Amino acid sequence: MFGYVLPLAGELKVKEFEKFKSAYCGLCHAMGRKCGLKARFLLNYDFTFLAMLLDGGSKASADQMCRCVASPFRRRRVCAMTSGFEMAADASVILSFWKLRDTVQDEGFFRGFAARLLSLLLRPAYRKAAKRRREFDLTVRQCLSQLRQLELEQCPSLDRVADTFARLLQAAGMEAQTEQRSPVEQILYHIGRWIYLADAYDDLEEDFKRKRYNPLITRFALTVPTLPEKDREQLETTMRHSLNLATSAYGLLQVGRWSEVLDNILYLGLPTSGMRVLAGEKIKWNQSKQKIGEIIYE
Amino acid sequence: MNDPYGVLGISSSASDEEVKRAYRELARKYHPDNYQNNPLSELAEEKMKEINQAYDAITKMRSGNGKTAGGSSSSYGNYSGSYGGNGGNASGAYAQVRNAINRGDLNQAEMLLRQMPERTAEWHFLTGSIAYRKGWLDEAQQHYQLACGMDPGNMEYRQALAYMQSGGQAYRPMGYGGVGNMSAADCCASMMCINCLCGGQGC
Repeated sequence: MFGYVLPLAGELKVKEFEKFKSAYCGLCHAMGRKCGLKARFLLNYDFTFLAMLLDGGSKASADQMCRCVASPFRRRRVCAMTSGFEMAADASVILSFWKLRDTVQDEGFFRGFAARLLSLLLRPAYRKAAKRRREFDLTVRQCLSQLRQLELEQCPSLDRVADTFARLLQAAGMEAQTEQRSPVEQILYHIGRWIYLADAYDDLEEDFKRKRYNPLITRFALTVPTLPEKDREQLETTMRHSLNLATSAYGLLQVGRWSEVLDNILYLGLPTSGMRVLAGEKIKWNQSKQKIGEIIYE
Repeated sequence: MNDPYGVLGISSSASDEEVKRAYRELARKYHPDNYQNNPLSELAEEKMKEINQAYDAITKMRSGNGKTAGGSSSSYGNYSGSYGGNGGNASGAYAQVRNAINRGDLNQAEMLLRQMPERTAEWHFLTGSIAYRKGWLDEAQQHYQLACGMDPGNMEYRQALAYMQSGGQAYRPMGYGGVGNMSAADCCASMMCINCLCGGQGC
């Protein structure tokens, strides 16, 4: 994913922040154990959110203190690994792998070179993960190929293109506990739509310059690389509505030990990210990672 | 039945006031307004029933001898979540579409709509409702807009459009209200609007 799904760190209590860090480390360990060392470089906050969501109210054993590559001397608190964390680890490997393959196809030889290299490095991890999650792997491939098709057709419907990414993310919910499954899937669908739209807005200028497909260009028939105020408001409203639907679904969920952190992400973190993106701030990937990363690795 | 105090998330030593506050907060969370035309509305109704029962059980226990504390019980109990049945003007085919939507059978509803020869205001309204249910909010709004344009007097369509323009609603606990949301004044104003619209329809 893209680095939009973050808690609003300033509003977390210290103990909640500790919890979030333990989930972050927990996911990293899950990735290492299940998919190999290289997979651990894919670690990010979006998937930490996914892990906490899929973990649900499951009763886990106590946290452990572990050393790792990133922190070889000081032991860090690592939450116990549950099936939700394993699923999130596999999902992040599968998604990243196919996204890299996608970039290889999209770009020319030179621009796509880095992606090609990374995808080769990641292939063994992908193989392991895909073997465990055949159904999810299949859905990801189908959704991405539908997305490619819609891009080729210059699809003018925001919802139709966003739907492919939303369904892809929703598929990660299929391994949630049975009674939690439908709210988890709804949360992931609506957040997936929201992420897709935020990303489209983020990329608007670049896509316009390089004459690439961007759903906002076709939906609002743009002739300049900026969205007029009226249309920006429309986008803001429809994104807020998606978050509201995700939040309503979240209300029906038991999330046990993660409730404070997830509350923060749903009620504060996501709306803040949305506002920052629409205000033109570039928070994608590294920028956001650095900010919380500084706190985590200090 | 589960421990009623557990359902409300409080300890059995909570004061009457705390019980009431916990119940009200949860009733706000599971309120059917947050789950209009939503695939999760049934689940929310179940939760609402659970907390209503828990609250009734506690008030019963506390008032002693099984007397219920009058008036306070199950204030949110009798809401019917069914959707869009009160238009009264639905002709046969459209009624079928509405039934299919209420059942959650969107494929059937979409197929019925596709077979219709005419694109009337109601056709657009129902197409918008299906889009909404799928989370296709932009298309939903466009269809509601068309429906309102073709039949400006229809309160059901106008209400749906107004809801889309407000960006929907969801429960947030106290202290989590602030980010990127409407100010309190805007919120009140839009609630008043919705009330007017509802009043106009006589519900």
